[in-house]
Amino acid sequence: MNKPRSKIIITSLTVIIAMSALYVAFPETINAQLEGNIFATHSGGVITTSGVVIDPVYTTTTDPEYTEATVEFDPMQYLREFNYGVVSTLPDGKILREFTIIAEDDQIMEVSPGIFFNVWTFNGTVPGPTIRATEGDIVRINFINNGAKSHTMHFHGIHPAEMDGVFEIVGGGGGQFTYEFEAGPVGVHPYHCHVMPLEEHIVRGLYGVFIVDPKEGRPAADEMVMVLNGLDMDFDGENNFYAANTIPFYYQNNPIQINTDELVRIYVVNMVEFDPINNLHLHGNLYYYYPTGTDLVPSFYTDMITLSQTERGIMEFQYEFPGKYLFHAHKVEFSEKGWVGIFQVNDNPQDKKSTEKVDYGS
Amino acid sequence: MEVSDRKQSKGKLIASGIIPFVFLIVLVIYIFGPGSDVLDLGVPLPEITMEKIDFVDSEIQVTVRNTGPIPVVIAMADINDRIQPAAVEPDGFLERYETALVRIPFAWNEAEPYRIGLTIEDGTRFEKEVEAAAPALQPTLELVGFFALIGTYVGIIPVMIGLLWLPFIRRISKQKYHFFLALTAGLLLFLGIDSIEEALDVSEENLAGSFNGVLLVTTVIVLSFLGLYYTGEKLVKRAVASTASSRLSKPVAIALMISIGIGLHNFGEGLAIGAAVGLGSIAFSTFLIVGFALHNTTEGIAIAGPMSRGKGAMTGKSMILKLAALGLIAGSPAIFGAWIGGFVYSPFTSVIFLAVGAGAIFQVIITILRWIREEGDKNLSSGSVVSGFAAGMLIMYLTSILV
Ligand SMILES: [Cu+2]
Repeated sequence: MNKPRSKIIITSLTVIIAMSALYVAFPETINAQLEGNIFATHSGGVITTSGVVIDPVYTTTTDPEYTEATVEFDPMQYLREFNYGVVSTLPDGKILREFTIIAEDDQIMEVSPGIFFNVWTFNGTVPGPTIRATEGDIVRINFINNGAKSHTMHFHGIHPAEMDGVFEIVGGGGGQFTYEFEAGPVGVHPYHCHVMPLEEHIVRGLYGVFIVDPKEGRPAADEMVMVLNGLDMDFDGENNFYAANTIPFYYQNNPIQINTDELVRIYVVNMVEFDPINNLHLHGNLYYYYPTGTDLVPSFYTDMITLSQTERGIMEFQYEFPGKYLFHAHKVEFSEKGWVGIFQVNDNPQDKKSTEKVDYGS
Repeated sequence: MEVSDRKQSKGKLIASGIIPFVFLIVLVIYIFGPGSDVLDLGVPLPEITMEKIDFVDSEIQVTVRNTGPIPVVIAMADINDRIQPAAVEPDGFLERYETALVRIPFAWNEAEPYRIGLTIEDGTRFEKEVEAAAPALQPTLELVGFFALIGTYVGIIPVMIGLLWLPFIRRISKQKYHFFLALTAGLLLFLGIDSIEEALDVSEENLAGSFNGVLLVTTVIVLSFLGLYYTGEKLVKRAVASTASSRLSKPVAIALMISIGIGLHNFGEGLAIGAAVGLGSIAFSTFLIVGFALHNTTEGIAIAGPMSRGKGAMTGKSMILKLAALGLIAGSPAIFGAWIGGFVYSPFTSVIFLAVGAGAIFQVIITILRWIREEGDKNLSSGSVVSGFAAGMLIMYLTSILV
């Protein structure tokens, strides 16, 4: 009869099952090796791999393989970008600065290479735009909520109660509100959404920086904004990433270029949630620190400040020696999760001092 | 006429067998195709499983499998919740059930605990904890020999020692003989349950939920049992049919089946020992080896049991050779198991072989009980059998507390 045939079928079936079982059991030995890719570790080692390197080196151009991201954010551009609004003069002689801020809550941001997160945004980025005015200017913000949820804008500072952005909830789908107040006091302040659940509306990205300059101005400097923030990717009430200006490790992989003997002024705002404190340590230097920036005389000369939620201030320093200097959270867990950067201090081209003998005075 | 009639009815038979399949296929196609929107409730959550973590020179290597319902992209690695640059081979995109090797350069310290984390494209982080880092074993000649030695200690020698009871068993009375056989069955039942427990533990700890650990173990046990049972029956029947001429008499056929079953079980034990050495718990595995050696002596008795009732021809040189061969069949798989467990450990294979071993053990128990029944006037409820069985279970339980 057809016994031999059935034997053959059974045998070949057994072989197929055995082969597939082996593949399930030891798949990596079956994969062929490809040619090498090289990357450096944090401790300087060099590794060759036949596969793909997964290192959080963020690039502003989105990987064409994953096109989900709708947010375009360049931390280097954000760093020195100040928005002064549409300027006009009011009948009483005051300066009016008008801004349009649009809130959205459906944006997808590639927060670290290959990792996507649904951020809530003011004008399409996290943090939102840095709003800058001079003390006494009238700030008018045409706020449009294009999100699905309700949002508001709540500014830290001095203003009437109805401009506080807490009880005047602006509905989603195009709701509007106009915030108008006189800029003050002098300093650096945060603004953020103030709709409940508040923690969620903040950590999702609805915050930004509001700078009020003194009428007499501050000395010329290379000015920057650093929002210290975190991202809770898995919604477990703990941050998975920390950063200065959202993108982990960005200023480490793309050092901030500054010059020797040039005053650097940083407006620092701590927006980290969940963790009670954050801090900022500068290498190879100390800085003058103006808490909240409300006073024109510095309170500290230090290389370490501790910041609680929405605590902020102005740092001023200049470097004498060129080279690479780290700045990071000295709560090093935060720095190992992205809150770390480098100042690349270059010889000042307008500076004769760097080539002359340094006079240390008497 | 008759032929075409038969053909027609045969066609009808085939059609009636196939039609339900056709409907089933149509249903599946509909659900995946046009009907998918209707049933597309809920959000499919991604899942990955870190199946193996190896500590090699200044590097931690993770074998990761996509065990969720949707494809994932491995985007980031961390050690102890601190982000590390890493490489993923061949690449980070994983279809369902696909695996990749994540290589994380890291100066790890031996015997320290580590939590290994992998983050996928939507930011979900998966973590696996290793209690004590230990270097991955490399298959050097020395280690191959070491495992062979362990396998010999655990598998071959104890089984051979157990076989030495043969002359003793041969002389004792039928009641005492049945007591010993039942004792062996009791011991083996304990071992079988022990294997199941271990298979379930390994699947619980290392296999993703999508493998249905409990059902996987159950299915493999039943298949292993049925396969061996069927083969055993055939073998014994053939032995009976050709008693006079064949070298294979019925007692030898039964002893052979018991040896094969025990061999499969010892393969699983070897795997466990190799894995224990591979995971760096050498001290623990010394205990393990002594324990296994004690257990496995009883396995020799199980083989010696049926052999002791062989016919007159089974004496002298051929008898010794047969016993040695049976001892090797039962004992030597421990060596192969130790090699695999030590060098290419994978939790999936461990679960499979532990379950195969358990099924084999149950087959051996059934074979022994039938042998007792045939020998003992179709009776399994004699005092010697019941007390033997109970004593076997008790001995194993008490030694398990000590080991
Ligand atoms: Cu909001």
